[in-house]
Amino acid sequence: MKVPERQFDIEKIRAEYVGKKGQRKDGLYPVEHDPIRRHEHMCYGRNPLFLDPEYGKQSKYSTNIAPGVMADYFAGDGTWPGWAGGDIAGRAMGEAALDVPTLGDKAINLSTTWEFIKPIKIGDRLWSQPGIADVFMKPIRLDPKAVWVVNETRFYNQDDELVAISRNTGLRHRSPEEVAADPDTARLQRQ
Amino acid sequence: MAVKLDPLPQIYFDDVKIGDELLGFGYKLDWTEMVKQVSGSQDFYAVHHDPEFAKSGGHKDIFYNTGWTRSQLYRLLSDYAGPEGWVRKLHFEMRRMNRPNNSIRVKGKVADRKVTPDGNEVHIELWIENDEEGVATPASGVVFLPSRR
Repeated sequence: MKVPERQFDIEKIRAEYVGKKGQRKDGLYPVEHDPIRRHEHMCYGRNPLFLDPEYGKQSKYSTNIAPGVMADYFAGDGTWPGWAGGDIAGRAMGEAALDVPTLGDKAINLSTTWEFIKPIKIGDRLWSQPGIADVFMKPIRLDPKAVWVVNETRFYNQDDELVAISRNTGLRHRSPEEVAADPDTARLQRQ
Repeated sequence: MAVKLDPLPQIYFDDVKIGDELLGFGYKLDWTEMVKQVSGSQDFYAVHHDPEFAKSGGHKDIFYNTGWTRSQLYRLLSDYAGPEGWVRKLHFEMRRMNRPNNSIRVKGKVADRKVTPDGNEVHIELWIENDEEGVATPASGVVFLPSRR
């Protein structure tokens, strides 16, 4: 959420947002074979733990499991008819309560860390809870007042067992014109 | 048609040495791969499949999405972990792009190995490289491996 600089106080924003949790979101469908097949088709995967039902039954999991990075797929509701595939600005990007105020609205996704805690099995029903793990200002070449946000999402199964955690670090920066118009820019770039 | 896939080989912690290379894989990002990217990730954001849309946003061309990227890296780790292992962590950084007609390689090597209260940890440096940009996606991972003992 882009806000004017006079309304931007990083310490107040940190106090309000760091540690804030969003609402529980339940996956639309149970963990199913076919999305796993498509996922493995995408990466030439041939892991029988993911793909072969007979092998899965005889494995230590007694069924097939999903690649851990599919936790968000099965805890979500997918791309639903009605979104035509155009600019992502027209798509719901998450709940407003977790939309951290920033000075710019140009986004860069930087890194992702996944932790995989427990297997995600065929038939599981996943749900997730998003949250804000950190917010801070750190200059980048494009903008000395870039605002970095670390989002953390925890994924659970139908027994409320934690199965995975993802942390995504991204930033929002201002346009070159906005940076040039800021009287602080020259001083900050000398530091 | 019944699915019948051969089990992946199992590597044991006892046999792992720092510097060991993982069995990587690679292929060319032709238009069929672009379609598979959308199918497999269900990411329909046009910047990943519509060249005109991507160029209108200042990009050189479409570029492959995060879901595709993480699937390649996770596959390398889960293939290495084998049926008795477990992929515990994956971290990756989207430094450069993978674009149409690039030939990519997904590679990795063992950076560390240690016994912890959680299990036999093998730390892996991995990455996606392409013939246009070099290493596009540096990454790291941790897998737990079984012991022969």
